Amino acid sequence: MNPAFTRVTVTGIRQAAGDTHVLTFRDECAAAAIQPGQFCMLSPAPGASCIYLPRPFSYFRALDDGRVEILFRALGRGTRWMAGLRPGDSVAVFGPLGRPFQLEAGAARAVLVAGGVGLPPLALLAERLLRLERPPRIDLLYGETRGERVVELGGVLPPAVRLWTASEDGSTGFRGRVTELLTQKVWPTLDTPPAVYTCGPRAMLAALADILGDGREVHSFQASLEENMACGHGICMGCAVELATDAPQPYYKLCCKDGPVFNGFEVKWR
Amino acid sequence: MAVDLSVNCLGLEFQNPVLVASGTFGYGDQYEDIMPIRELGALVTKTITPRMRPGNPPPRVVETDSGMLNTIGLANVGQDEFLREKLPWLVTHRGAARVIVNVAGFAEEEFAEVAAAVGSAPGVDALEVNLGCPNVKAGYIHFGADPQSVRRIVSLVRSQVELPIVAKLSPNVTDIAALAEAAVAAGADAVSLINTLPGMKIDINRRRPVLSQGFGGLSGPAVRPVGVACVYKVYRRLAEAGMSAPIVGIGGIGCGSDALEYILAGASLVQVGTASFVRPRAAAETIEGIAEICDRQGVTAVTELVGAAHRS
Ligand SMILES: Cc1cc2nc3c(=O)[nH]c(=O)nc-3n(C[C@H](O)[C@H](O)[C@H](O)COP(=O)(O)OP(=O)(O)OC[C@H]3O[C@@H](n4cnc5c(N)ncnc54)[C@H](O)[C@@H]3O)c2cc1C
Ligand SMILES: Cc1cc2nc3c(=O)[nH]c(=O)nc-3n(C[C@H](O)[C@H](O)[C@H](O)COP(=O)(O)O)c2cc1C
Ligand code: FES
Repeated sequence: MNPAFTRVTVTGIRQAAGDTHVLTFRDECAAAAIQPGQFCMLSPAPGASCIYLPRPFSYFRALDDGRVEILFRALGRGTRWMAGLRPGDSVAVFGPLGRPFQLEAGAARAVLVAGGVGLPPLALLAERLLRLERPPRIDLLYGETRGERVVELGGVLPPAVRLWTASEDGSTGFRGRVTELLTQKVWPTLDTPPAVYTCGPRAMLAALADILGDGREVHSFQASLEENMACGHGICMGCAVELATDAPQPYYKLCCKDGPVFNGFEVKWR
Repeated sequence: MAVDLSVNCLGLEFQNPVLVASGTFGYGDQYEDIMPIRELGALVTKTITPRMRPGNPPPRVVETDSGMLNTIGLANVGQDEFLREKLPWLVTHRGAARVIVNVAGFAEEEFAEVAAAVGSAPGVDALEVNLGCPNVKAGYIHFGADPQSVRRIVSLVRSQVELPIVAKLSPNVTDIAALAEAAVAAGADAVSLINTLPGMKIDINRRRPVLSQGFGGLSGPAVRPVGVACVYKVYRRLAEAGMSAPIVGIGGIGCGSDALEYILAGASLVQVGTASFVRPRAAAETIEGIAEICDRQGVTAVTELVGAAHRS
């Protein structure tokens, strides 16, 4: 589906954990077309202009009745504006945007590694992977810095998904980073090279790229990246992601149009 | 009665006075389903340089109060690929809209090179010369910084092409009107103003500038008063000097009333820039808005309003 710019009405907003919220609105066309890894740009309706540029958010869930959910963390003024939205409020949405995850149909195992609010696209991906004719066995690893930030995923994730949780403060699940959870607990259980999908803070993605690049066999490695965005669809050239090449000149792709999902082995992480 | 929105200038007929600004509409194709270029007065392309430019490292954009900062670094496909891959699409989809190609170089010869290459391509109605980009040879002082350099670049471009030339000026100078005079004296058919203003945002947690290059160009509603003042000043100065050259107003335009401020200050045409990122149909809304306001005020042709703020 081509992206559409529409005004939608908020149908619900709930706190999911600490400073993390789930925003629900009705967007029938998008709900039917969304693929995991795609995102939308959200902005206030004109007049309520506490922010100027739209903000990018991954789709978290697309419900059968045409509602769409966004899971977000209130960090700055845009996301704080969102946290203050109430049912009946109007927001502008531009989407679906970006290249989604490729559902690797040939892989018998899928390992999904989420850091913080990197969770939403992977939750949607898990559900879609299970709809494949021969679905892989799915391990979803989800890490937060503090246990109070961990979002309760009961009722969201299909039961067939094996969920592993980590918190750096140790108050919930594995004590440590999600990448340590992967190498220490999950990797030893794998019997076949997995398709690895990830989304989270750049430092976490880079650490994961190091781990996978270090001689571990994988079926594929897809990473969803974040960059500051202005237009969200390849016009402003604002969201450059540098890819690794041998050429003397840097080689950039656009996060919003060529991504946000990239082959993790092609990104220049540092 | 329907308001006449057409504007005759640069020897061209524009179906309406609303253009989209360089760097904020790509090469037209991406918006096709939402805001087709055929509705526009003209599309101004992203700056083209002789050779492809990858642009600056990220972060390249950040929001500020009522606007944004960018340090894209003139990332573009280069003149050859533009002519091969981008221009043909534009020319077949433009309908009654005009196509203005924005060009720049990092040395004087580069301006001549790109102007000659692009200026002879079929389907290009005019060139807009971006004088806000850095002069590598003179140590990153931009070409638009002094009247001598503006005069040299514009004459050089003039000697290469027969097309109308619009000189795009930077507001980051002591006297933008002196630059406008220099540009017109050297053969520019029109001046467009303003390009972005230098600005900076600092991340207070990391204690350093957010953008990779430190500084960025400020655009959006935050710069509109600056742009309107520049147009007003240049309109007056050109009139005093007995020079007649249309002015293209740019900076923070996103609706009809924004555009009319510029038109009343002396702009014959206007460009919608950053607003397209916020509302993809901002240019269309601006066209409708101008018509609506004219209608309400009993104005029959938008051209009646050009420079009217100087007369009342
Ligand atoms: C493709 C894509 C998908 C995204 N999906 C989600 C999502 O599903 N849920 C979610 O909560 N967030 C998501 N983000 C991040 C989200 O866009 C930012 O958190 C948001 O723009 C911050 O806006 P703000 O106005 O609250 O913060 P600002 O006031 O702009 O900045 C406040 C702080 O927020 C942080 N921040 C700003 N921009 C980003 C960014 N692009 N990425 C990470 N941190 C940032 C910085 O630490 C900054 O100091 C996504 C980003 C992209 C590019
Ligand atoms: C992301 C971005 C990229 C731009 N790229 C160019 C460019 O390539 N060439 C140019 O002459 N101006 C460029 N501009 C400047 C705009 O054309 C315009 O002069 C400026 O943004 C002010 O108008 P606005 O406030 O309506 O955006 C760019 C602006 C933005 C925001
Ligand atoms: S956000 Fe504008 S090009 Fe990606």
